[in-house]
Amino acid sequence: MAIIGSTLSVGSPAIRPPLDLAPARETFAPKGPAGVPPAGGGFGDIFEKLVGDVEQKQANASQITRSVLLGDNPNLHQSVIAMQEASISFGLMVEVRNKVVEGYQELMRMPV
Amino acid sequence: MDLLTGIEATNGALGAQRTRLDVIAQNIANARTTRGPDGKAYQRRVVNFESELLRTQGAAGRAAGGGLSTVRVAGVGIDPTPGQRVNDAGHPDADAQGMVTLPNVNLAFEMVDLITASRAYEANLSVAKNARQMALKTLEIGK
Repeated sequence: MAIIGSTLSVGSPAIRPPLDLAPARETFAPKGPAGVPPAGGGFGDIFEKLVGDVEQKQANASQITRSVLLGDNPNLHQSVIAMQEASISFGLMVEVRNKVVEGYQELMRMPV
Repeated sequence: MDLLTGIEATNGALGAQRTRLDVIAQNIANARTTRGPDGKAYQRRVVNFESELLRTQGAAGRAAGGGLSTVRVAGVGIDPTPGQRVNDAGHPDADAQGMVTLPNVNLAFEMVDLITASRAYEANLSVAKNARQMALKTLEIGK
């Protein structure tokens, strides 16, 4: 052990990273106590807001389409555009979900 | 969340062109109307547009430098050109001299206006279609 310790102590100056890298690493370290999500909501809150937005867009599209079908609104294009907006925001939501699930599965496949 | 930015301007333009089409339809329909609610011959209607600043000053507005502007129908005016007067004493709307005032609608003009409105509508539709395709292609990055 003493021999290894001495070799380590001899070799350590060469292995040690340059000193100027150390502060750069510290900036990426979490500031708060471990396990506490940062203030302003974590990813879950953001995703929940996204799902709420998508739902609101779909409700808006269905309301405009209903008013067009009932004859209250002559602007057919508004209905189609609202439906497209709802569809694209839904696509974005599905894409975000796919990425999250993909990341989770990648973690689960990690050999321990 | 505003994924299809700029679509509001297209939305307004489509509505304005549709109104224009309605007014042209009214002009063509009344091309031979010699008596309106006021007892006179039909006068051709013309639509005038005005630009409108979008109230939603979101990310799209900031990108365009302080607000996108869309278009809306400012009003439907009356073309004051006098209509053609023809001699038709047997017409119910003929005056004492046997002259009938026809509407100042020229079908050739209306057809040109119709084609212009239709093409402008198509142009705005392509803008909407392209905005959608751009968003869909962007979502394909993640696939």
